[in-house]
Amino acid sequence: MENSKKIKLAIIGAGRMGITHYSIINSHPNVEIESVADPSTLVLTLMKKYLPVKTFKDYNELLEKAKPDAVLVCTPPNLHFQIIEKCAKLGIHVFSEKPFTSKFEAASELNALFSKTKLVNQVGYVNRFNDIFCKTKEFVENGLIGKIIRFKSEMFSCTITKSDEGSGWRASRESGGGAVFEMASHAIDLVNFLVGKPDKITGSSLNHIYSQNVEDAMSSTFLYKNGISGTIYVNWSDPSYRKPTNKIEIFGDGGRIMADQHSLKIFMNKANETYNLCQGWNTLYITDIFKPVPFYVRGNEFTSQLYHFIDCIQNKTATNKCSFQDGANTLEVIDQIFNDYEQNAKF
Amino acid sequence: MQNSNMETIDKIIFGDNQFFGINHMSQEKAQQLAEKFFDIKNIYRVYDTAFEAGIKAVMLNSNDRAKEICNHFRENENKYGDINWYPSIPYPHKYANLVAEKGIFPAINEVLFKDNSAFGVMGMLAKGGTAVLGKDAIKMMKMLIDVEMKMFKGLNVKVVFLQNIITDLILGYGVKEVFEEYCNHIRKKYKAAPGLITQNMPYLVSKLKEWDIKEVVVCSSFNKIGYLMSPNVESYVETAKNNNPTEYQLMAMSTLASGAIPAQEAYNFINQQNIQSVVFGASSKNHIEETVKLINI
Repeated sequence: MENSKKIKLAIIGAGRMGITHYSIINSHPNVEIESVADPSTLVLTLMKKYLPVKTFKDYNELLEKAKPDAVLVCTPPNLHFQIIEKCAKLGIHVFSEKPFTSKFEAASELNALFSKTKLVNQVGYVNRFNDIFCKTKEFVENGLIGKIIRFKSEMFSCTITKSDEGSGWRASRESGGGAVFEMASHAIDLVNFLVGKPDKITGSSLNHIYSQNVEDAMSSTFLYKNGISGTIYVNWSDPSYRKPTNKIEIFGDGGRIMADQHSLKIFMNKANETYNLCQGWNTLYITDIFKPVPFYVRGNEFTSQLYHFIDCIQNKTATNKCSFQDGANTLEVIDQIFNDYEQNAKF
Repeated sequence: MQNSNMETIDKIIFGDNQFFGINHMSQEKAQQLAEKFFDIKNIYRVYDTAFEAGIKAVMLNSNDRAKEICNHFRENENKYGDINWYPSIPYPHKYANLVAEKGIFPAINEVLFKDNSAFGVMGMLAKGGTAVLGKDAIKMMKMLIDVEMKMFKGLNVKVVFLQNIITDLILGYGVKEVFEEYCNHIRKKYKAAPGLITQNMPYLVSKLKEWDIKEVVVCSSFNKIGYLMSPNVESYVETAKNNNPTEYQLMAMSTLASGAIPAQEAYNFINQQNIQSVVFGASSKNHIEETVKLINI
C-alpha cells in the first residue's frame, strides 16, 4: 500500500493502554500513527523526543488539526463520550477502550450516532479475540453442550491489594473506576458474547476490601426469559491470582464447558465426531488452537483486536466483532447491577 | 568464538517459571506449581537436583521471591560459587499492577523513590522525582535497571535480560536509542552481556542489525508448533540459520510449548536449529535429567 493510502491513526490518551496499543498497531504495514493527545507534559515530551508523531495536549486540537482517519480512545472512561461524539461528527472511525463510557445512556447515544454512519466502531473487550473463548463460542453455538441452562462467569486479579489508594481516576465510579467497570465489564461481556444479554438482574452485591470509594468485589445473578440463569463473581483484590484471569462455566443439557484464557475443558454427554470430541471429558489448550499474530506485545488477542479494527476500516471484514452495540449492552447490564444494589441490597 | 568480545553463554540454563506459578498453557497447572513451591525449600531442592544433573547456569526473574533465592545462593557461596547467573528484569506484573492502580509515572516514582533512600536518590526526590527524571528517559531507565539488579549483587552475572513485555513494547515503537543505551549500561555497569527476551525474534534481530547493535543475547520462544513465535516458525528457523553467533547468541525458551510437545520430539527439532543455548524449567529429577540428555545443540 502506498504511503498516501495508509490509515492515518491518532491515539487519544497515552496511559497504560494507549502506550500498549501504540506499540502493537505501529507494526501494521497499512497504518501510520500520526498524532497523540494526552494532558501529561511528561508523556508528550518523551513522545516528541523519540517518535515521529505530532503531540497535542488537547484532543479537540488533535481532531481538528491532525484530521485522522481513525482514533484509538484510551482516556479514562468518563471522557469517552465527548471525544467519540466529536469523532462521529468529523467522520472518524473509532476504537474505544472498555468500558466504552461510564453511563448506559451515553453509550446508547453514541451507538445511535454511529449506526447512522458507515464508520467502524469497536470497543476493547479483548476476550472476544482470545482463541479459547472463540472456540468456546463455536462449541456453544453449534450445540455441543445442548440447550444452555446455567452459567458462572468470574474474573480475578491482584490489581488492588493495599489500602492506601484513593487518588487517580480509577478510585471513583464517576470517572469509570472500580471493580465493576474495570473488571466485571469483561466478565459481563463474556456472558453477552457466549450466552446473550440477560433480561433481569437480581441479587447484586458489592464489597469494599481496600478501596474507599469504589467496590473491590461484586457478584450478581442474571436471569433470562427463556429460563437460563447464571451468576457472576468478580474480585480484583485476590492475591492468589498472579495475573487477571477470566473463568466461565456453562452447563447445558448436552454437556458442560469450562474455559479460561488458556484452556477449555468440555464434558460431553455424547461423543461428537465432527469436532473429534469423545464422550466424557475433553481438554483443549491454547497451544492446540492458537492462531499466530504478526507482532506480539501483550498476548495474541491484543494484536488480533487492533488488526481487526484496521481490517474493518479496509472493508476486509464485514461485521465488527465487538461494536458499540456490544459495548452499550455491557453498560446496560452494569447500570442494572448498580440499580439493583442500590434498591435491594442496602440495609 | 572468533572476532567477538561477547563471552560464550552456557548451552543449558535452568529457568524459573515452574517455581512461580507460570504456565502459559494452563492456569490449573500453574496453580498446582504455585502450591508446590510455596515452601521455598522445595525450590532449593530442585536447584540442587539441576546442578547434580550437570547444569551450571540459572535464569531468574527479579520477582519478590527471587530476592530470597539470591540470598540463599550468596550465603552458600562455597557450594554455589561456580554457578552462572542470567537475571531477567523487571518482574512485569509488579509494574502492571502499580501502573493500573496509580498511572505510569506515579508507579515509576514509587519504584524508584519509595523506600530507596539508601539508593542515593533523595536529591532527585527534592528536585521533583520523575517529573524531572521523566524528561531524561534514558537516565530513568538506567535507574530502574539498577533497582531491579540490586538483588543480584555479588552473584556471577553473565547476561542481563530485559523481559519480553518491555523488549517488545519498545520494539513496537522502534526506538534505537533505548536498546543502545540498555546494552551499554549492562556492559559497563554489570560487566555482563546484554540480553533481550522477545516474542518477535526475527523482527528484533533485523532491527538490531539495522541499528548496528551487536553482541547481544536474544532469547525467544522456539518450538516446532510456533507457540509464542511471531510471525511464524519458518521465519524463526530462517533467521537462526542465517545468524552469525558472534553477533547474536540465540537462546531458546518454551521449547516444549508449555508441555504441548513431548520432550523427545521437541528437542529433535531444537537440536537441528542454529541456536547457542536452551533455557528450560522442570521440577522433577527425571524431567531435568531427561532434558539435559536430550539437548544436543
